Amino acid sequence: MNTASFLIVGAALFSLGAIGFLVRRNLILMFLSAELMLQGVALNFVAFSRQHGDLSGQVFVLFIIAVAAAEAALALAMILMLYRRRGTLDVSVWQDLREPGVEMIVDLDEPKLDTTPDVDLPRLPPAGVVPAHREASRV
Amino acid sequence: MSFTAVALAYEAFPWRVAIPLGVAACSLYVLLPKPRHRPVFLGSLTGILSVIAIGVVLHRQESAPWPEQLLFYIFSGLAIVGAAVMLTQRKPARAAISFALVISNVCGLFLLLGAPFLMAATLIVYAGAIIVTFLFVLMLAQQQGFSDADDRTREPFLATVASFFLFGLLLWVIERSYPNANSLHELVQLTEEASAQPDVDAMLRTLGNRQMFLSRWQTEAQRWRDWDSTGLESAVINVEEEITPQQPDAALLRTRLRELAEIGQRIEASSRPKNLPAANVAGIGTLLYSRYLLGVEIGGTLLLVATVGAIAITGQGPRRRIG
Repeated sequence: MNTASFLIVGAALFSLGAIGFLVRRNLILMFLSAELMLQGVALNFVAFSRQHGDLSGQVFVLFIIAVAAAEAALALAMILMLYRRRGTLDVSVWQDLREPGVEMIVDLDEPKLDTTPDVDLPRLPPAGVVPAHREASRV
Repeated sequence: MSFTAVALAYEAFPWRVAIPLGVAACSLYVLLPKPRHRPVFLGSLTGILSVIAIGVVLHRQESAPWPEQLLFYIFSGLAIVGAAVMLTQRKPARAAISFALVISNVCGLFLLLGAPFLMAATLIVYAGAIIVTFLFVLMLAQQQGFSDADDRTREPFLATVASFFLFGLLLWVIERSYPNANSLHELVQLTEEASAQPDVDAMLRTLGNRQMFLSRWQTEAQRWRDWDSTGLESAVINVEEEITPQQPDAALLRTRLRELAEIGQRIEASSRPKNLPAANVAGIGTLLYSRYLLGVEIGGTLLLVATVGAIAITGQGPRRRIG
């Protein structure tokens, strides 16, 4: 196969990842979209590596994998911290973060607070609560 | 920037891809999560059809065996469709699973590109470790099913337009820097055939319309300007000088045509992918620990620092609560 075909697939993955990063509100999905963009770039590197008959491109992709792993560990730790602060993964609750003297940017469509799911999710009894056994009261 | 440069730039964009690309953008926009009802079936149908149409339109004649081409189209189609599914899923866990689908198909493409070690490494690190961590964090953070954040998007129209514009721009650059070699190949064969003819009349008969032949070569010379190191343009001018008189000199015309065909063949050969070393893992290892040794050291340090950092960041919460 010629190099251009692989480059086109890489470009498509990159632009789809860009859409995801701009559009989604969930922090984890934004991060997944960034990883998708990295995959597009990695595909480009490997395609160029074959075009020039040089393994350096593949070595670059190894570095990309290492950086992506480090990035995933750190970003997920930070996302967990953000979740603990506000109790949601929505990025728009963090849009009041800004420098002093800068106008706050607010989304045009206000967050909808009514979040009734449109499917029946299974209802499980709460875990971690000690049930009232007869044995437990005896001990 | 002269007028010809603009015209060339206009010609370099594959305009026939514009309609399927627009349909793909519309169906992706329709499918993006929103609280209102979205036409899932119709949107996915037009989306998949437009991806197939883009593949058909951008297809190039290949010398590669058909299983390789078939595998390429399967892998790349599944990767792109999986990426679109990831964007349009409302449930983050399903999005993570479709990201795993994208990763495995990209690994297939790596294999087609002659990178078996990278295929294994990406599969293990991404599909094996990163996706699992994502799912773990999702389960830790989002236990109460749907949330408002997954139901709505930010600026879906602007983002779709901007990203498809970016994709069109990338397509244009790729088509310009890696032109389709089919027309050059045909032209080289025609020129060779003509130069093999015994006399001038037969040569001119094989070439057909002279003006047409020359203008085709001139377009090719423009298209392959970046690949051409041996003067394709001057060779075309040489042929033009020999071909325009009423009675061309047979021997001279033949040498000029041969020169032209040779240069064309050389450009065609240089645009083809080179061969990678057969020992993939050994080659990567040698490169890693010779030319990129410093990079390996820095990468190792980075991983160590990231591990320490992740533990430090997440460890803070409970400690504060205890104290």
